[in-house]
This record gives sequence, structure tokens and C-alpha cells, in this order.
Amino acid sequence: MPRYVSLYSLFLRQRLKILMEYRVNFFIGAVSTLIEQTAGLLTVWVVMQRIPLLNGWTYEELLLVYGLLALSKSLTYLFADNLWTVGREYIRTGGFDRFLVRPVDPLFHLLADRFDHQGLGHLIIGGILVSTASARLGITWDLPHLLYLVVAVLSGGLIFIGLNLITCVSAFWIMDSVPVTRVVFDMNEFAKYPLSMYNRGVQFVLTWLVPYGFASFYPANYLLGRDVGVLVWLGPAVAVTLLLIGYRLWLFGLRHYASTGS
Amino acid sequence: MALALGRTVRRYGGMASMAPKFFLAYSIWVWMEWAVQTIALIITSFFWRAVYTDQTVIAGLAQSQTLTYVLLALIFAPFVHSTGMIYNFGYLLKEGQIAVELLRPLDFQAGQYVWRTAELWVGLILQVPLFIVALFLGMQPPLDPRLWAVFLVTAFLGHAVLFCFDWMLGCLAFYVTEIWGLSVARYGFTLFASGLLVPLALMPDWLAGILNVLPFAQALYVPLSFLTGIAPLSDAPRVWLAQLAALAVLLPLSRWVFRVAVRKVTVQGG
Repeated sequence: MPRYVSLYSLFLRQRLKILMEYRVNFFIGAVSTLIEQTAGLLTVWVVMQRIPLLNGWTYEELLLVYGLLALSKSLTYLFADNLWTVGREYIRTGGFDRFLVRPVDPLFHLLADRFDHQGLGHLIIGGILVSTASARLGITWDLPHLLYLVVAVLSGGLIFIGLNLITCVSAFWIMDSVPVTRVVFDMNEFAKYPLSMYNRGVQFVLTWLVPYGFASFYPANYLLGRDVGVLVWLGPAVAVTLLLIGYRLWLFGLRHYASTGS
Repeated sequence: MALALGRTVRRYGGMASMAPKFFLAYSIWVWMEWAVQTIALIITSFFWRAVYTDQTVIAGLAQSQTLTYVLLALIFAPFVHSTGMIYNFGYLLKEGQIAVELLRPLDFQAGQYVWRTAELWVGLILQVPLFIVALFLGMQPPLDPRLWAVFLVTAFLGHAVLFCFDWMLGCLAFYVTEIWGLSVARYGFTLFASGLLVPLALMPDWLAGILNVLPFAQALYVPLSFLTGIAPLSDAPRVWLAQLAALAVLLPLSRWVFRVAVRKVTVQGG
């Protein structure tokens, strides 16, 4: 484990050197996602100028849901963005062979190979939203709440990573896994809003099948003191389960990997 | 004269005919788009139903009118998504392909416009299944053919205006390497400014006023406002004149900006 931590910091330093070579470009990349997120937020803002409550949720409460999701999402962008491009950039080009002849775990190598600075936009906007919304809502950041927030965001991030890992494995057979990953990933758009807004079928999917609800809606309920039962505590278990499934599938895919050849 | 015209039509027609093949080469991408768009339609429908839970009319728009607008906006989104040039220019520069493109015996901008318009048509045809999904979600499109005719004329004029604007925006790729980030920023801004996520009629007057003069709304909100009854048909001639005037300014301006930007290009090779 310590070896992997030190290796990761080495990869990260190299990546940052590359990124900082062109500082203006680094800045543009980092704020671009911020602009993208702002579009969705402005929509909520426009609507909430006209109505007092959306499905029983105030504007500030909606911002909290939105912010929690953005924070979780930032983790997958920052630390696991290569799961998107494993097929296109590595398997199709034969570059994946490089990971198989090195004395480190191929999945670790794949993830460490790219730190995506565009996740910073999500991190910044998520941080701003959660802090402003919680201040306006009077949420006290005592130790239990703070710990809950950290665990919830980490779990949310790992749920994103787990689902992306599960879907990216398809690249071992179809070369480019982006279409498969994107269909599942885009379902996180549902979780930008309170799940109570949807019918039971959608709620079930977002809780048990593609459980993005644990990245936003359920943690928000806990922080707001709303009672949704045991679900507010299930995020870490769901995240670990998804990661385990993802890793088993990854190993299965790895056994079926056939290089591009010469 | 007729021969030259025939030759030009054949050249650009040949380009346009490649667009469907390019689009449909990998069917999995088409399926992905359908799935992703269906998700977006479902979320949108739930969201706006929730917005109208306690009211029947907001800012003069009834629930059915707004729902029809936002679902149609998602279906006709290719009008605003098909003109983005930043990534395209950046890719051509990165690969050195820009040299080949500039050497072709075709006007580069005209060629790109033909390509983008052909892509737009293919994109619209591929949206037909989504149109059916949207009907199940409560969309009530108008049946009056005049409305559709006015919509199409306004949308294609708006598309041309946005193409010229995006052409200038795309020239940023000659100066920076972060084309993915710029494309994402443009995409995000377009979602809001074009009225794709929320009709401009629901926005505060000052904001709607600003967005109305930007070219993004011309390609989506303005045409859809005719189709959904937000704007009266009698406004159409005035809107078309304004769009033609914008085109008269933006077309030469975009060509000039490109001429300046292209001087930055240094293509390696040998």
C-alpha cells in the first residue's frame, strides 16, 4: 500500500508538470466544467424565482443536493477519468500492453496515468454550493455532520467510479466503451434533483440499480434532518459493493484481453 | 455559368452525402444517443411536472405549453449542437489535417457549413424515435403546417447565424490547446443561452433580453417560440429580417477572423 501511495504521488507530480506547462490551458480546463455546471444551476435558479418550493424542497435545499452530487462527481473526474478512455486511448492503440509488462497493478496504473484537472470545476462548484446552502439552511458543521459529509462524498465518488469501472470493462470486447459508460453515467442527471420528484420505478433504479441517489439525495436528507430511514447510512456499503463487482469484472475482462497485434 | 454551378453543387453534394455514412458507421453510438436522450426527456418531463404541481400558469406559460416546449427543445437540440467548431478546429490542428483541408479546391467555410448542415439533417432524422417517446411523456406538438414552416425557416436561419458565430469562437483553437475544456464551456453556456433547458420567457426580463440578442437563442428558442405559441406568427417577418441582418454582419466578420487566426498555423511534416 505505501508503495502505491508513493507511486501515485510520483504519477501525479509528472501529470501536474505536464498540465502546468501551459498554465492558461490548465486554467481553461479547470473552469470549463464550472461553466457547464452553472447552466444547470441557472435553470434551477430561474425556476425557483417563480415558485417557492419544488416538490417540497426549497431553493437552498436543492442547491445542497446539487452540490453533493458535484462533489462526488469531482472525485471520478479527478482520479478515475481514464476509465472513460481505456478503450479508445489504450486498448485500441495497443498502449494497454504497456500496463501489463510493468510491475504494478494494471488498474492502478491506468487510474494513476491521468489526473483530470477538469474535475476541479466540479469540486469548486460543489464546495461553494454545499457551504452556501448549508449556511443558509443553518446546518451546523459539528464533528458528526462533518464526518458524515466526508464519508458521503467519498462514497458518492466511489459509486461513480464503481459504475464507470463496471461499464468500462466492455472495452475489452467492443474496443470503445464510451457509449456504454455514458448511458449509465448520464443517469446521474436524475440525482441532481430530489428523488422524491420521480415515480417509484425511477426511485428504485436510482437507489438499487444505478445508485446515484446515495451521492446526493440520501446524504442531503440526513444533513437536513429528514427521515428516509436506514438508506442514509447505506452509501459506503453500496460503494464498496460496486467497487468489488467492478474489480471482479475488470479481472474477468483482463483475462479476455487480446492485444491489437502487429 | 450553369456548368460551374453544376460542378459546385456536385462537389458540396458529395460532401453532404458522406455525413450519413460518417454518422451511422458505428451503430452503437446511435443507440447510445437514443438512450441518453431518452433519459434527458424523462428527467425533463418529471422536473417540469414538479414545477407545475401547485400552479397552472407560470409567466404566462401553461404546463402543457412549457412541457411541449422543453421536450421539443431537446429533440431539436441538434440545431445548436451541430455548429460547435472549437473541437473540430483543434483536432484538425493537432493532426496537421488543417493543411490538407486548406489545400482542397473548395471554400473551407462553405464546405464545413455544408457538412454541418448535412449532419444536422441526419441528426434530426435520428431524433424521430425520440419524438415518439416525447409524445408519451405529454408533448403536444401543433398540427398547423404554417407553424412548422415558420419554425423550419427560422431555425435554419438561426443555425446559419450560430454557425458564423461559432466559426469565430472556433478560431480560439488556433491560440490555445485546451480544446476539450473550451468545447465543454461552450456546450454548457449553449444549454442555457439557447433556451434548451428553460424557455427564455420564464427568465427575468433583463436576462432574457441579453440572451435574446445572442445567436444561441436564434437557433432554438426563437424558432420554438413560434411552434409553441409563445410568439405570434405575425412576428416572423421581423425575426427573419433581423436574422438576415445578423448573417450579413457575421458572415464577413467570421471569414476575416479566420483569415487572421489561420496565420498562427505551423504544420510540421516532411
